[in-house]
Amino acid sequence: MAFEASSNTVSGLFESCAEALTEIMVDPRTVKPRVTRVFEISADTLDRLLYDFLTELIVVKDVDSLLFSKYLVRVDPVGNSLKATAKGEEIDRGRHKLRNDAKAVTMHMFGVTRAGRSWKATVVLDI
Amino acid sequence: MVQLASMKQISDVAWEIPPSYKAGMNVPARIYANKTLLAGMDAGVIDQVTNVACLPGIVRYSYAMADAHWGYGFPIGGVAAFDLEKGVISPGGIGFDVNCGMRLIRTNLHYSEVKPRIKELVDLIFRLVPAGVGVKGSQSFGQSQMGDITTLGVRWCAEHDLAWDDDPEHVEEGGFIKGADISKVSRQAVSRGISQFGTLGSGNHYLEIQVVDPARYFDRDLAKNFGIVHDDQVVVMIHCGSRGFGHQICTDYLRTFESNMRKFGIEVRDRDLACLPISSKEGKDYYSAMVCAANFAFVNRQIIVNQVRDAFSRVFHRDAEALDMHLIYDVCHNVGKVEHHTFDGTSTDVLVHRKGATRSFGPGHPDIPAPYRAVGQPVIIGGSMETGSYLLVGTKKAMEETFGSTAHGSGRTMSRTAAKREVRGAELQKKMLERGIYVKAATMDGLAEEAGMAYKDISEVVETMDAAGISKKVVALRPVGNIKG
Repeated sequence: MAFEASSNTVSGLFESCAEALTEIMVDPRTVKPRVTRVFEISADTLDRLLYDFLTELIVVKDVDSLLFSKYLVRVDPVGNSLKATAKGEEIDRGRHKLRNDAKAVTMHMFGVTRAGRSWKATVVLDI
Repeated sequence: MVQLASMKQISDVAWEIPPSYKAGMNVPARIYANKTLLAGMDAGVIDQVTNVACLPGIVRYSYAMADAHWGYGFPIGGVAAFDLEKGVISPGGIGFDVNCGMRLIRTNLHYSEVKPRIKELVDLIFRLVPAGVGVKGSQSFGQSQMGDITTLGVRWCAEHDLAWDDDPEHVEEGGFIKGADISKVSRQAVSRGISQFGTLGSGNHYLEIQVVDPARYFDRDLAKNFGIVHDDQVVVMIHCGSRGFGHQICTDYLRTFESNMRKFGIEVRDRDLACLPISSKEGKDYYSAMVCAANFAFVNRQIIVNQVRDAFSRVFHRDAEALDMHLIYDVCHNVGKVEHHTFDGTSTDVLVHRKGATRSFGPGHPDIPAPYRAVGQPVIIGGSMETGSYLLVGTKKAMEETFGSTAHGSGRTMSRTAAKREVRGAELQKKMLERGIYVKAATMDGLAEEAGMAYKDISEVVETMDAAGISKKVVALRPVGNIKG
């Protein structure tokens, strides 16, 4: 399953990508912001940073059964690092409208690009 | 639709694309398909099977089986073997879901006994076998056990009373592939996998209760050899893989491989074909980790078998032994293995990548379990939940032509999004019930995505591989109950 995200800021782009990942897995309106998780990640490139961030969200879904509906991400594009605060809750099969199980971020068409002021990302997930 | 002027027809069901088709091709591409399947094959298959033909150290052909469709790097339904010294290993040639595979269990029940209780049985199995987003298994193991579990696979299960004595023998590779090394697996992969043993997953994974279709017996003697002894015999098929464990291993090593290709002077046409020399440290590390994932999947399917045996026992008030719920066989369809093959006048070890392809070893092969060795390896090819599946047998011709490989399933013809536009899950569930198939799914959207019309016709796929002599049909299996994640 693929998505394209865009934003005027790189931090906004990462937030949009995280929201898109959530949207693929669950109806975000059914996920209450009960639990806060902070992510601090650094990578060699901005592409890799996004790859690692989205992968970490998938890992947390499997390890801690957490889904998030709200994200605040601050990316340092020079240092290729980020700090993200995600709010969500443990998966509740009775209440959450679950959709697809995202299992991995693929390399297929994956990339972060900038055209003028606009940041764009293309992500294909293995589900 | 595939149309290539340079494609040569080898037989009614085999086609070849010569190396002259694309710069850099080291070997020809060989596609197994009848005219209908070839006409319906997406153009991405041609692009991908010929890209794979460009990889260093590939031997004989880059193959696409009859169910081939576009994948990440390698087509799904792709097979490629590589020289161990000059060749490469590619996670894209194995797939994210390492050892996604099929397991078939027999029973001595007739459909007439099961039909009145199918809802009770399916509902119970649905409760016992977790499926869907973020599910956890009921079987928990400690982190310290992961090394042994992923090294010894189903043999570990037998040693810990989690498998019957004859279960390991009825699983490909005796239930574990040699060469696993848990130290090559990341902490993240272990954390993801440790709570997922005994879970079905989602997407196209399923657990299906099936009935032998008496109208489609192709070889009764062979069927008897495989434990199918009467018409309307009930069997159970499980389709799933290595869950988050395998996915994380692939994720981790794709990153490693992409960063290191330049060091070895390797360039690929497609990022998803990231690969490194089999003989490199990184290549060996990935192989060891991938084998851990393969063995994880064997154990995952074993835990699910235990849950299925428990469910049948509770519903039919007889223990699973009395119901003769022994394994027929278990096959991988996403894996890379070092195997010994004879080709082009030489007999040597090669690394065979099968991505959406099944091993199909012929009679006499020492790797086939003793009860089946004289006749050939059971091959399980799964269709959609509406069309059913097939049990076949491996052949000598497969050994000669395709490194002992055949197709694995139907292959998608339509995206999940497109399928959901055409079909409503609840409506599909109702129609299937009217046709005698009781389906329980974690989500209705997930069910719609798996509608039969989103897949190729499994009979065309099976007929093609049979006509090619690569795997011969034994019997068809009709679905009557299904659990989907």
